[in-house]
Amino acid sequence: MLKYTSKRILYMIFVFSIMSVILFSLYDMIPGDPARAEVETLKELLKPDEYQRAYEQARERLGLNDPTHIRYGKWVKGLLKGDLGMSAVHKQPVAKIIGTPLKNTIFINIFAVIIGLGITIPLGIYCAIKKNSTFDKAVQVLTIVGYSIPVFIFALLFIYLFAVKLGWFPVSGMATPNFKGTEWQAFLDKLKYLVLPLGVMTIGSLGGITRYVRAAMADALTMDYIKTARAKGLKEKVVIFSHAWRNALLPVVTLLIGWFMSIFYGSLIIERMFALNGLGKLLIDSLNNQDYPVVMAIQLFYIVIALTGNLITDLSYGIVDPRVRVNK
Amino acid sequence: MSTKQVNDNKDNKNKSSFLRLLLGNLFGSRKELSLMEEEQVQSPLRTVVKTFKSNKVAMTGFVLFIVILLTVLIGPIFKPIDLSFSETSQQNIAPGYDLMEYPDAIVGKVADIAVGPTFSVATSTDGQLYIWGKTRVTGVVDIRNLPRDQNTKQLIDMGNLVRVAAGFDHAIALNDQGQLFGWGNDRQRQATIPMELNNTKIKDIYAGYQSSLVLTEDGRSVYFGNTMNNDYNEFHPYQGKLAKIAVTADAAMGLTVDGEAVYLGAQQSSYSRIPENMGKVVDIAATASTMAAVNEDGQVFVWGNISVQGEGTVPETDSKIVKIYGGRYHYTALTENNDVVGWGADYYKQATVPSSVNSADIETIYSGFYQNYGITKDGQILTWGLKGYLFGTDELGRDIFTRLLNGGRMSMTIGAVAVIISTTIGIVVGALSGFFGGKIDLVLQRLSEVVSSLPFLPFAMILSALIGNSMESNQKIGLIMVILGLLSWPSLQRLVRAQVLSVREQEYVIAARALGVKEMNIVFKHILPNVISVIIVSATLSFASSMLTESSLSYLGFGVQAPQPTWGNMLYGANNSIVIQNYWWRWVFASIVLGICVICINLVGDGLRDAIDPKSQER
Repeated sequence: MLKYTSKRILYMIFVFSIMSVILFSLYDMIPGDPARAEVETLKELLKPDEYQRAYEQARERLGLNDPTHIRYGKWVKGLLKGDLGMSAVHKQPVAKIIGTPLKNTIFINIFAVIIGLGITIPLGIYCAIKKNSTFDKAVQVLTIVGYSIPVFIFALLFIYLFAVKLGWFPVSGMATPNFKGTEWQAFLDKLKYLVLPLGVMTIGSLGGITRYVRAAMADALTMDYIKTARAKGLKEKVVIFSHAWRNALLPVVTLLIGWFMSIFYGSLIIERMFALNGLGKLLIDSLNNQDYPVVMAIQLFYIVIALTGNLITDLSYGIVDPRVRVNK
Repeated sequence: MSTKQVNDNKDNKNKSSFLRLLLGNLFGSRKELSLMEEEQVQSPLRTVVKTFKSNKVAMTGFVLFIVILLTVLIGPIFKPIDLSFSETSQQNIAPGYDLMEYPDAIVGKVADIAVGPTFSVATSTDGQLYIWGKTRVTGVVDIRNLPRDQNTKQLIDMGNLVRVAAGFDHAIALNDQGQLFGWGNDRQRQATIPMELNNTKIKDIYAGYQSSLVLTEDGRSVYFGNTMNNDYNEFHPYQGKLAKIAVTADAAMGLTVDGEAVYLGAQQSSYSRIPENMGKVVDIAATASTMAAVNEDGQVFVWGNISVQGEGTVPETDSKIVKIYGGRYHYTALTENNDVVGWGADYYKQATVPSSVNSADIETIYSGFYQNYGITKDGQILTWGLKGYLFGTDELGRDIFTRLLNGGRMSMTIGAVAVIISTTIGIVVGALSGFFGGKIDLVLQRLSEVVSSLPFLPFAMILSALIGNSMESNQKIGLIMVILGLLSWPSLQRLVRAQVLSVREQEYVIAARALGVKEMNIVFKHILPNVISVIIVSATLSFASSMLTESSLSYLGFGVQAPQPTWGNMLYGANNSIVIQNYWWRWVFASIVLGICVICINLVGDGLRDAIDPKSQER
């Protein structure tokens, strides 16, 4: 197991470095001259030759005269030291900017995932047990609708119904401006703002996962050992949760971990629509403002998360299903 | 019989049997076979088709999808899109064909009709005021809100109205006592009647863009409203000599009692270059940017900023033109024989005079913007021009229905091309990886893992933003297709690989090897056809997800850029609560059609999977 894990981690580092090369070369392709942008303000103040010298100095200082691979090396060195660069828009180190949005995104998504899991797993299991009943068929149709309609359409509908027509919830933002009250009241206020986004996110994720859980569970329920278990006279509850569910878990685990990983980037569209100060909104804003150091940092972060997620998935296979462990 | 002929025969037989099956099942002409017979003759494809067709949900989805597909493929032929089109007077109009739905009460007693961008105002011979069409011009201005007394907040009794004039977003009316009333948008004071007019006898009233003009009995013109945008000279030399006035979107012209067309502005412009030698002018009219005059001989002169839409190309008429009326970008004219001709811009059919109008005995015409009302001698009202919009218009005055049709074609094309790209890559990678195994497999699988571990949407956004920055809109569409295709192949690759692994050791592959068939041929000619069913299902489902991703990207502004429409970017402008609340048609229709389309494709995909893999049906 240890050997396997270390092999996987080595592989992760390899993939990450490839991705960083790809990202860096993409970044490199962007037209524009940061040195020119930096000295642009001096143009009026300096004489042409002084200006030219300042420009050359800026190029030298920013390392723009170096060949690509040296610049890449410098960039990676910075990364390893935790230097993600300076944001051009915020005039601050990127590492500083990312903190709050990241916290917000995790906060929102943890709620969404917990609510989602609380609904989808029982629902999926119930549908698999009551397979082909009217309830099951209705859920099947609803889940197709659920995963066929993009979240932003649900969001538009929710805003129209609950924020505009009924006026129950605020349309956007994360807290009432200048809110005064105890910490608990502030939390409740925040929750009020989060009801709509969370509702939309939950609905958006229900469809796919319910179907997946149901399929895995239905598969497990057709197996021979279920018949054996039933023949032994075990209680239906034991058969379902102890025998079937454990075996259905394997395919579900991949999905669930993938979903947990989406805690960090799953609310991109929602954050933008409801003006929530999260990582996804920061990414979109930075892309729109062409603030590429921030974009690069967020993207690298996403890749690390995704690779970690892959590793955890593979490792958890072994925990869930001992047969997988033997092979490795 | 040569081999070729045999093959031909075989092909024909297959074809006809498939056709017969299709037709037979559609029209029920074939007699039902017993179970045993059926089992014997049914090919796998027939089983799939039959199972699929017995699945009512999937069939409904299939039919609906075909209907949508045909609509967006054929629709744009009849409703082509002009990407540069925008029309400020037609912004954010609600759906409905009621722009020319005049009230029945007015038939037979029309005194005056004035046409605004989306509404019309009229008076009847008994002094009543009528308003119809889309009267909500902006969020706060509604032409139906008649003027109220400032102190009592009661509606002002306007008395017996005789004349009305409709401007861009306001209206003014004149009663038989010579009193003027204005209402609607009053930000430029174009609906506020100046005090100096209180004791003046008024002959006629005109309204334009943020401006109003009054012609007094003694031939003077009085202007009120925006003086910055409109070129009007209060002290023009024709004061006291005017018989008629016509207004464009930013200027005014007059007709003197001597039959001379004159410009009422101060600046030299294309309007002020009035053609010489027109002779005695009998009637004048103006569109948004041109002016026209008719002389005694029925000759029409048009000048001003003549656009490519053809205001300047006056058609030949049998009898001479005596009256002329101007719309937004078209003219309508009445001849001596009461024939009606129209010319100029015709995208709403506003310049195409219907035959029913020409056969009728038209006495007067009221034209404005995109509507024409013809009044016959016996008081009937005939209308032609813009009736309204099926799905409303967006913030630039573009017809949403047309954009939905064209956007649908674009969305589907992008989805289809992306699927073709991803399926091709998926098949090649999966087949090679599964068949050869070893190092090739290792490398390809790691590659696939890398691609599949990338968070899809953020990565697509970054690619589109970084690479697409300097691209033109058409190149960007291509880029989106490629990005979607390049990022979504791993799942299909895994499926194909698994299938290939399972059939690799089967007898026919061994036989092919023994016969010395090349390895590439074994993979792509012998193995692949046997896993085609998995590929079809996967391609169908990923078509749906490609369309979804495209719409999400475009919605966020990182996909296809306006003015090129797709179902996703048509929703781009709808992400603030003002639009969501006030202009629901801008997001509802695109959402519905996108949702239905994707649901249908998913239903078809699910149905196909059930039909191809009967095991999954047992679930």
